[in-house]
Amino acid sequence: MKTLRAQALLAVLVILASILPQEASAIPAFARKYGFNCTMCHSAFPRLNDFGARYRANAYRLPGRENIEKTILESPPPVAFRTAAGYTYDEYKHVSGGDAPAKQSGFEMDGLDILSAGLLGQKIGYMMVFVPGITESRGLAGQEATLEMASVIFSHLASTTLNLRAGRFEPAYVAFSVKRHLTATPYEIYDYSFPGGPTLSETQTGLELSGGGHGPLRFAVGLVEGSSTNLAKDPARDGYVRIEGVLGPGEGQTAGHRFGLTGYFGQARPDSSLHSAQTGTETFSRLGADASLNALGLNLAVQYLWGNDQKALWGQPDKVTWSGGFAELSYASAYGATGFARFDLVKEPSSVDRDIRRLTIGGRYYLEDNAAVHLEYSRRTVTVPAADDATEDFATVRFDFAF
Amino acid sequence: MKRILLIGFLLAMPAMPLMPLSVHAEGAMLTNGPLPPVPVPADNPQTDPKIHLGAQLYFDTRLSGDNTISCATCHDPRTGWANPHPTDTGIRGQVGGRNSGTIINAAYMRYQFWDGRAASLEDQALGPIHNPIEMGETLENVVKKLNAIPGYKEQFNQVFGTDVTADGIAKAIASFERTVISGPSAYDRWLAGDRTAMSRAAVRGLHLFNGKAHCSPCHSGPLFSDQSFHNLGAGMDKPDPDLGRFKETKDPADSGRFKTPTLRNIELTPPYLHTGVEKSLMDVISFYDRGGVRNSNLDPMMLPLNLTRHEKEDLVEFMKALTGTIPAIPVPGFPEGQGAAADPKGGLR
Repeated sequence: MKTLRAQALLAVLVILASILPQEASAIPAFARKYGFNCTMCHSAFPRLNDFGARYRANAYRLPGRENIEKTILESPPPVAFRTAAGYTYDEYKHVSGGDAPAKQSGFEMDGLDILSAGLLGQKIGYMMVFVPGITESRGLAGQEATLEMASVIFSHLASTTLNLRAGRFEPAYVAFSVKRHLTATPYEIYDYSFPGGPTLSETQTGLELSGGGHGPLRFAVGLVEGSSTNLAKDPARDGYVRIEGVLGPGEGQTAGHRFGLTGYFGQARPDSSLHSAQTGTETFSRLGADASLNALGLNLAVQYLWGNDQKALWGQPDKVTWSGGFAELSYASAYGATGFARFDLVKEPSSVDRDIRRLTIGGRYYLEDNAAVHLEYSRRTVTVPAADDATEDFATVRFDFAF
Repeated sequence: MKRILLIGFLLAMPAMPLMPLSVHAEGAMLTNGPLPPVPVPADNPQTDPKIHLGAQLYFDTRLSGDNTISCATCHDPRTGWANPHPTDTGIRGQVGGRNSGTIINAAYMRYQFWDGRAASLEDQALGPIHNPIEMGETLENVVKKLNAIPGYKEQFNQVFGTDVTADGIAKAIASFERTVISGPSAYDRWLAGDRTAMSRAAVRGLHLFNGKAHCSPCHSGPLFSDQSFHNLGAGMDKPDPDLGRFKETKDPADSGRFKTPTLRNIELTPPYLHTGVEKSLMDVISFYDRGGVRNSNLDPMMLPLNLTRHEKEDLVEFMKALTGTIPAIPVPGFPEGQGAAADPKGGLR
């Protein structure tokens, strides 16, 4: 009974928050600083538009107005929050029957991010995202406390477009930000790796030098600690390079067409489950090609990655290769609605002999710039030629907001 | 129970507004507030006789080389104190290179002219007189002509304690121009709390103005101008383009930059941009929607906007809500002397 009351209360809060949006006036840190609406930088929160991309690339300063920027000491407290609340349905089953489907559903709050960002000085910006620890309970998704991002950006080094980012950040090799994508489900390829290995979706700690900015070509090179959750397995530093170009006006977010190439070169120790004895470091690499194309208000985001891992990382006799990517089509209408559809594919190594496919469709309706009702359905299929396919159906209706 | 709650949640969704209408007004208030008192330089205080003298000089065609052009010829009170044509037509039919800016609220501007070459109304006032394309007169000669008109000589002595001087002419015209100030607009009334002052379309336009349409970073402050210079690319695709601010500063970073004009009363002063090629507010919004004209020094904030037709119309409605009450100032009478007579129409065409 107590649980029912809690669910009812949560539902009432969500509904009230949804139908009374006109009273809301909350705006997150950057918008509050300038007095802008969120749509200045976001085509559909949390996704950036071209202006937002330029603002981020310019170390959180309005391009061309750097000399009149205010630091965090001269502007409102640079703190913002983001969370989501809603109803989620998740069902896992084998296509031809077998075990009974595993189902999970219910109302829940989906975590909380605390963000702070701004300028420490005229040429020093910072971004911090703190995820507080939440103990999982019924109706409340648990999360471990972590400092997801904490970086300082030194801008205008040597040239007007050279920036150095230091600390923990989302690296440039993530062509389509996993922190600002539209869907609740992840980009499969960014989460894929060898057993116990690092994934590209994780933030990294290290240094990144980037340049370009307003011209058609730009680059980023980085040296990072590696994103393995088990530091002992991943002792050596990793490096990466990214080159991208934009055709036409814009940044490829909402206008123009962006094309990019990425290379990531890392070292790791094999997972202990694969080898009984301690082994040395092995190398792995990721090569990626991506494009973000815009026309008629539509955005087509395409990413393809190739993984090349030393055999020991998979416990195999030969080098292991795999690949995958996604294609996502989205459209942000002028009436507060955004639609998206994405197909994810991971062609696992031949030794594993499986494919992962995910089809996701959904939409967001913006009651305010910073508050959206999010509907999404996703089917994830793991295809195993010699065995039964497994599917996971995921659906969610949630209220996603930042303030 | 869960199904009931889910159904309730889904049923509530149609009750949600079809479009976001509320605006982060507090954000707009921070930057786009009402006009403050008119700034007046300490060495040129406002007095009624000086303002009257300035009005006469503003409308007097005898300040031009052939006695046909007055300030009002290109800054016409009937057309928003600006010129309804793309560029000016000055003395002997010569055509200038830029659209005439409005005099309304020019008193608030830190810089005068599109390229900001004058730092005050006093500095600006004499420029067109000795511009060979505009009024085509020398300062020396205009002082001589006005000193030959007893009525002017008498007024200058009364106001400045001297005969007619170029400095006095500048100060009198500037004083007059400081009275050409617009009153509160629908936007000002809306901002003051009258939520009926602006239409729903105009409120949506304000939301766009401060968001997706990317207007407010430059059109900020009470004047809706950051009083700075930006390269929008207008005219930069033409051979030998007008380089604007660069001509004054010789700084390559200023190439193609022009002053951000005020948006108050913008409805009254077509055509738009320094080139005057955008005939309507819809046209100029479409220009911005395309991201301006690409060139090597294009302002980094100039980006395609993906605005829909309805969004552009909402922006136009908001621009119209910035029109305030405009002072009705008739053409004054002119003192006469032995030389050419003043045009009783004040140079208005």
